[in-house]
Amino acid sequence: MGCFHSKISRHSTPGYEEPTVLAAETAFTVSEVEALYELFKKISSSIIDDGLIHKEEFQLAIFKNQNRRNLFADRIFDLFDFKHNGVIEFGEFVRSLSIFHPNAPLADKIAFAFRLYDLRQTGYIEREELKEMVLALLNESDLVLSDDLVEMIVDKTFDEADKKSDGKIDQDEWKEFVSKNPSLLKNMTLPYLKDITLAFPSFVISSEVEDLEVQAHANTR
Amino acid sequence: MYKKITKGDFKCPEYFPSVATKLLSRILDPNPFSRITLAKPMNNNWFKKGFKQIDKPPILEQEQDKSPCSVFNIVDDSDVESSSGHKEQSSSTMKPTCLNAFDIISLSPAFDLCSLFEKDKSCRSDARFTTQNSASTIVSRLQEVASMRSFKVKKKNRTVKMQRSKEGRKGKLAIDAEIFEITLAFHVVEVKKKSGRTAEYRKFCDQGLKPSLNDRVWTWKGNEQ
Repeated sequence: MGCFHSKISRHSTPGYEEPTVLAAETAFTVSEVEALYELFKKISSSIIDDGLIHKEEFQLAIFKNQNRRNLFADRIFDLFDFKHNGVIEFGEFVRSLSIFHPNAPLADKIAFAFRLYDLRQTGYIEREELKEMVLALLNESDLVLSDDLVEMIVDKTFDEADKKSDGKIDQDEWKEFVSKNPSLLKNMTLPYLKDITLAFPSFVISSEVEDLEVQAHANTR
Repeated sequence: MYKKITKGDFKCPEYFPSVATKLLSRILDPNPFSRITLAKPMNNNWFKKGFKQIDKPPILEQEQDKSPCSVFNIVDDSDVESSSGHKEQSSSTMKPTCLNAFDIISLSPAFDLCSLFEKDKSCRSDARFTTQNSASTIVSRLQEVASMRSFKVKKKNRTVKMQRSKEGRKGKLAIDAEIFEITLAFHVVEVKKKSGRTAEYRKFCDQGLKPSLNDRVWTWKGNEQ
């Protein structure tokens, strides 16, 4: 694997963005973006080696099973794929993961979680959507709760969150609800992202970034 | 700069004592076979000056400030308070966190994006299971299992903390079991290894916890059944 060869293949991949650009616009440093590129390469070549993460490759990475369908994994995939072209490109990958960085703004995490749960992207989390998600979780965990009990759980949550009592949770109601129940956002932070350079040290060899640029970015952190 | 790191190409300032420079060059040796081992610097005179051996810090208490919500205050929860004749009276202070609908949803392994980074699932030392027992039953079963295997047990908030008295290879095995309530008769328990060897921890779970709690569902977080 010569440096020259990988320079060509990297830049010709659609959606590839320079580490320096991504570092400037996300919570990651240049080195961290380079390390993420190693991770991205691994995931995006697992089934189809085209520098893009397909749904099956995403499912394979999360569940170690490319065929496992899951409502929540679908939602995450759709949110990561903000260009909506059915694949996750490197730029999308880094920008989306940035929201999960411990240093990312809380407002971004709150907004991302809201969009995640807004299954039909209406701008609101409707009661039916919440019930659908609870049922999906119970189903995937092989748990059985009576419909009455599920209704009760959904009702109680909705009563607490839907202050305007209009049958749906809007972004403001969500923000208030989350401020009272901060544990709801725990999935929105991956502490591991702070140590990403340790997990993928091989980025050093394939790094294309000049020393001065690395230092410049390190100094701004 | 990366190329310099991999070549071990660095310069020490002139005011560094030569002993320190020599030691550093042996530590920063890019070749793992010729690199100095951990034990050797301990005998080095320069290194020993002012060196203090730090004892392993005690297991830090986890401060989890989750205020119990009142999702099910319509249901009479006095059952949780009265334990069925067990020795520990403090089980009445174990009030599990109630899970609301969004909490339940976030239990999905799909949200555990750490899986993207982890190569080997067998290294995971988190487990989550559901049980149709009451909180007090769960606590007393955990205590039974723990005391049978010489573990000290402490209850804090919604967590049963267990620690083996015997020192293992990687310190004392310590396990936390946190209880979350979906309903009074339906709970989710998250078991986490806090310290010690993973193999010992898994043995404890497989041979101690699982048979005692006798439940249908037991998954290592993120694992398929």
